[in-house]
Amino acid sequence: MKSQTAIDQQTVIKRKMRSELWKRIDRNKLLYLMILPGLIYFLIFKYAPMWGLVIAFQDYQPYLGVMGSEWVGLEHFRTLFSDPWFWTIFKNTLLLFLFNLLFFFPIPIILALMLNEVRLQFFKRTVQTMVYIPHFMSWVIIVSISFVMLTKDGGIINDLIAMLGFEKINFLLSSEWFRPMYILQVIWREAGWGTIIYLAAIAAVDPQLYEAARMDGAGRFRQIWHITLPAIRSVIVILLILKIGDILELGFEHVYLLLNPMNRDVAEIFDTFVYTTGLQQGNYSYSAAVGFFKSIIGLILVVLANRLAKKFGEEGVY
Amino acid sequence: MVQDKTWGSRLFDIFNYILLTVVALVTILPFIHVIAGSFATVKEVTQKSFLLIPTEFTLDAYRYIFSTDTILRSLFVSIGITIIGTLFSMFLTTMMAYGLSRRDLDGRRVIMFMVVFTMLFNGGMIPTFLVVKAMGLIDSYMALILPTAINAFNLIIMRNFFQNLPAGLEEAAKIDGCNDIGILFRIVLPLSKPVLATISLFYAVTYWNTYMNAILYLNDPTKWPIQVVLRQIVILASGMSVDGAAFDPDFVAPPEQTVKMAVIVVATVPVLLVYPFLQKYFAKGALLGSIKD
Amino acid sequence: MNKRVLAIVAAFSLALTSVSSGCGREEAALQKEGGKAPFTFRMMVNQQSPVTPDPWIEELLEERTNTDIRIQWVPDGSYNEKLFTAMTTDTLPEAVFMKNQATYELLKDAIRGGQFWEIGPYLDEYEHLRNLNPEVLQNTSVDGKIYGLYQERPLSRQGIIYRKDWADNLGLSAPTTTDDLYQMLKQFTINDPDQNGVHDTFGLSDRNDLVYGAFKTVSSYFGTPNNWGEIDGRLLPEFMHPSYIDTMEFFRKLHREGFINQDFPVTSKKEQMKRFVSGKAGVYIGAMGDVAFLYDDAVKTNPDVELDVQNRIKGPTGDLGIWAIPGYGTVILFPKSSVTTEAELKKILAFFDQLMAPEHANLLQYGMEGIHFHRVEGKANPVEDRALLNREVRPYTGMLVGGPETTDMLEAHYTLDVKVKAEEWIKDNHNFIIHDPTAPLDSDTDAEHGVRLREIITDATYQYILGEIDQVGFDKAVERWKKEGGNKIIAEYNEAYQQSK
Repeated sequence: MKSQTAIDQQTVIKRKMRSELWKRIDRNKLLYLMILPGLIYFLIFKYAPMWGLVIAFQDYQPYLGVMGSEWVGLEHFRTLFSDPWFWTIFKNTLLLFLFNLLFFFPIPIILALMLNEVRLQFFKRTVQTMVYIPHFMSWVIIVSISFVMLTKDGGIINDLIAMLGFEKINFLLSSEWFRPMYILQVIWREAGWGTIIYLAAIAAVDPQLYEAARMDGAGRFRQIWHITLPAIRSVIVILLILKIGDILELGFEHVYLLLNPMNRDVAEIFDTFVYTTGLQQGNYSYSAAVGFFKSIIGLILVVLANRLAKKFGEEGVY
Repeated sequence: MVQDKTWGSRLFDIFNYILLTVVALVTILPFIHVIAGSFATVKEVTQKSFLLIPTEFTLDAYRYIFSTDTILRSLFVSIGITIIGTLFSMFLTTMMAYGLSRRDLDGRRVIMFMVVFTMLFNGGMIPTFLVVKAMGLIDSYMALILPTAINAFNLIIMRNFFQNLPAGLEEAAKIDGCNDIGILFRIVLPLSKPVLATISLFYAVTYWNTYMNAILYLNDPTKWPIQVVLRQIVILASGMSVDGAAFDPDFVAPPEQTVKMAVIVVATVPVLLVYPFLQKYFAKGALLGSIKD
Repeated sequence: MNKRVLAIVAAFSLALTSVSSGCGREEAALQKEGGKAPFTFRMMVNQQSPVTPDPWIEELLEERTNTDIRIQWVPDGSYNEKLFTAMTTDTLPEAVFMKNQATYELLKDAIRGGQFWEIGPYLDEYEHLRNLNPEVLQNTSVDGKIYGLYQERPLSRQGIIYRKDWADNLGLSAPTTTDDLYQMLKQFTINDPDQNGVHDTFGLSDRNDLVYGAFKTVSSYFGTPNNWGEIDGRLLPEFMHPSYIDTMEFFRKLHREGFINQDFPVTSKKEQMKRFVSGKAGVYIGAMGDVAFLYDDAVKTNPDVELDVQNRIKGPTGDLGIWAIPGYGTVILFPKSSVTTEAELKKILAFFDQLMAPEHANLLQYGMEGIHFHRVEGKANPVEDRALLNREVRPYTGMLVGGPETTDMLEAHYTLDVKVKAEEWIKDNHNFIIHDPTAPLDSDTDAEHGVRLREIITDATYQYILGEIDQVGFDKAVERWKKEGGNKIIAEYNEAYQQSK
């Protein structure tokens, strides 16, 4: 049994804490006022529509609406997990993500570092502008241009291979070439665009730091390693966390355009699978259920990644 | 600025310049192909598999697309939405990001988590439509701006940059009698030009690419932005649609490839011009200058 | 120019400030009509033209029919999203065009749920609507009831387009059997048909489409049924018929020997056409009407090019046949949520009835006489200006009800001889059409899982043609199809088939 004084002490501390909290909130009321419009935006346009998620647990019929449709509980999830294709698709999606992380993610960083080392402003700006252009070409354009170049029927690359005396390569209709093709197209379209954010971070570095490092006799690589990279580290961490949350988002349109009967065993991912099993047949609930599953996985990974980042002394995303 | 004169440093530079040149040339290829196609004759585009320099120069494709008001009109719509939308979004995002960047703010982690949560879960097209409809925004340009006013990703990035500013600045400003809004506008924003330029660019590009919202929320086709027109032409001309349904050539003649290329050029060049304009804010030392001011 | 810019900027800022600019239009419409107010209604139409139309044909039509129609054009590529969003949120307009048959299939549940007016009983009251073909209406029916007006499509346009000049160079005559066809493809590949001394041509230019590409048409030549056919009185899917295997074998041979483009499973229609018009390939199998576009483009690269069309190809059995679609391209439905009374429905039907009157049908199909077309020998001959037609007339073609078979509209006049011939062949196809017996039948399993199950067969077909699997592998795929739902589909269709007899 606690003594009366101890309880009194606790109450006092609590009251004190509460009044301090109020003091802090009162002191920061302008900050809250600044957050408010944005918060209202998120509540109205993001949280108010969240009820739409329930169709994952219904047999949703557009004409009946959410109120009128029948509840089916976890049936769609059971269908998904018991589909003989499920593990193949899971594996394909995961592998494609890992490829993305290993071969695409570092490239904008490297490119930004390289651009940062360029002294000629004109050259730097020209290259920067050129590499960011492909981001504005739709996947339909990118994919059709690469098909024209890679086809066995008169494509430049295969013609070149044939000219050099090798056998033509079946880029388009084979499983083994799908992943490299996918990742190269992602790099082609997005690498330059990805540098922008890092260049902004690098712009915040004080040039005097480099001067000092040079005085100490640090070479170019050591300058990059000890000054530039630490300056962009927190951006890299943030982007990495967000990317991990997007683990199952690999660009539906892109993959769908590359997908064909000869590479389906490696190219079918959640989004394309949902498209044929769900959307094309009007099974909205099923695709919503798969979407829900993807979001849950993403959420778990973001929470884990964020916790890990905090452990290493980073700010994390929340 | 003192230049390095060491042998290793020069070798590094040579290698760096060559590699960047190659990268730039390779990435620009598709765009050159598109530009070349837009100025070429139909004959040449049909014959060559990958055209880079047209032998015969013609403006036919451009003449064709400007023979109707549609494209010009939708360009203006897009420019208007992009400018107004970007300003609006930047205002909301900056305010919110700054508030959330202050470490002494209670509840900021909860709010940030709420923001991150919306990146993973969303209610979908139809509930959002109902919200837009309930607000009376159908057929209004605001329907293209309000529902996408804050991008969670942009908000997180901006907050991260604000957080990395030296904390001492704010304290000093407070002692000088600045309130929080004063600190944001007089101290934080001038120090954040690179990230402001970056996020403005991101917003501008998003607004420029507005497509699905226009189709859902605008019933009046004279209000459509350029992407709606662009996609229609690209899909018709490529015969390569995600939908897979066959177009009926007896019904509508597919537009020429040259026309498709010209529309792509017209729809891309305005937004391409934004970046070079913003590049001066990425220059090193830009911040130093503003601190001295 | 400056004025226009100014006007647009002004309009933009106006629209931005007004909450809903739809109001502005209503007022304008009210002011315009002093006397009898025009009947106002909205419709959602699939935009298949490159740009949205200049509205003056619409205005002319409104004036003539005393209506005020508000057309919601929706780009073809995103039609379904818009349609289903509107349906769920109760914002469908009074008349709704389907995108195509597949979209219509998706709506059948809603139709059964009583969301749309049944219009069958009213059709006889109208002068023109009563002329709609009962057989085609039957194909659009749901549980035997008619809910929609339809837009006509020729039953079958499929056939062969080939390089006549190449055939002449090699002394080949038009193919009449599948063996002839094979020979032509072979000679076009190995015998230098363009006589440039280089081995740089091949036979068939095909694309990534087993239905509208070459495969299904050739399968008709081999005697394969159209999607479903009877074996011993039982309906079975086409791929369980031996003639389907024969067709696959035919293509496998073409592919192995290099008479068809090697990457055809990923070739887009654009690339397919490009290979043909640029003189790389000599045969194109698909819609024979395409010959006009193909010729237009081909003649730009090679002024001496000669094209010809051909059909009536006999397979090993010696029978003629060509697969057909159910005779409609799209269906127009009338939602009960927006058309609230029978009287309103009748008014709207009256409008569509007027659309079938020859003068209006001509307006939608060809535009204004003297501006968009001229009469030549009593037929409509469109003007040369393709840009003009594309922006003023073509979009409205998507609004037609019925078509040449059901209205007294003008026939089209073609200046290109081979196009005239193609149109004759298309008519000739009617003599040996192969219908899809399941077109008026329904199978729940097919509606729910058909697309995905079909993918199993499509994949296996390509894999067979490319030599990745053999007969055993294909049979396995068919077994998988049966096990995962195909058996149910067979049972359901056969039950419905027996009932309909």
